[in-house]
Amino acid sequence: MTTQIPLVTLSDDQRDCYQELTNVAMGQAADRLARLLDHYVVLPIPRVNLIEISDLRMAIEGARDGDAISAVCQGFIGNGIAGEALLLFNDTSYTDLARLAQYPAKLTHQDQLEMLMDISSLLIGACIQGIGEQLEIHFNQGHPVILGQHCDLKDILNVSHQKWRRTLAIEIHYTMEAVNVNCDLLLLFTEDSVQRLNKKIDYLLD
Amino acid sequence: MATNVLICDDSSFARKQMARAIPLGWEVEIHFASDGLEGLEAIRQGKGEVVFLDLTMPNLDGYGVLEHIRREDLPAMVVVVSGDIQPDAQARVMNLGAMAFIKKPIDSAKTEAVLTEYGIMTKA
Repeated sequence: MTTQIPLVTLSDDQRDCYQELTNVAMGQAADRLARLLDHYVVLPIPRVNLIEISDLRMAIEGARDGDAISAVCQGFIGNGIAGEALLLFNDTSYTDLARLAQYPAKLTHQDQLEMLMDISSLLIGACIQGIGEQLEIHFNQGHPVILGQHCDLKDILNVSHQKWRRTLAIEIHYTMEAVNVNCDLLLLFTEDSVQRLNKKIDYLLD
Repeated sequence: MATNVLICDDSSFARKQMARAIPLGWEVEIHFASDGLEGLEAIRQGKGEVVFLDLTMPNLDGYGVLEHIRREDLPAMVVVVSGDIQPDAQARVMNLGAMAFIKKPIDSAKTEAVLTEYGIMTKA
């Protein structure tokens, strides 16, 4: 007999709480990016949803099929809560980002890789730690892995995240003011983590 | 007389956190608004002598609220409470007439320090 994991649920209050915690964490991440590039980062309202992994593509706002993207993923774990952060970086962003980061106009493959890793470790690290601090969870982060460079969204999503059915997804669509830089940060939690996370959230809501 | 305090934030969790962070012993009547438009309306009705204002909100954001307060010359002392802690965001709201800026997550120590520093809070 197979054990059935009960399907995770999300109430309006819980969603609101996740959104607010994310709001604070992504603000800290944006602040670090803004100081690094000396440029204002536009903060959206984060989207929090329970999604079927098969629908992940539809849940992503910024990157669309056909756009060339580069993607990095990084696992995190702490207090029995585990998940994966996925940064989808729109390749059209390299030009303006290079200018802000004072890279030479003609970018080598190595330059692009370096920028991608810098941005992703900064945004992922600050977001994960920001959420962790508020929930009193110390997250350990795994090594970042490049899922692909200059490829299509559907190819990225095909190679990753086959593990879960239905999960909690937090999506932050970062853009920068008056320049063409945009990327999506997705935080995906494992199904059994969501139960524990919800308990922590309920405690805050109490 | 109790001070009319308005908490304007689109998150009900954040509104609750803010209400809890209001120092004990400050005689206040607390009002709530869940976006900028509601907040502005409450300020026009005199419910926001002191306003704790979030920035990222639907319909009308915190910057918009500050602009309206200035344009209509509304009597409101605004403390911005935001997760957007970029230097630019702080400079912008101060330029728009906010009295102070508190970084989220909010707590009562931060709130009391700011309220005392700017002479906003008058304890009974």
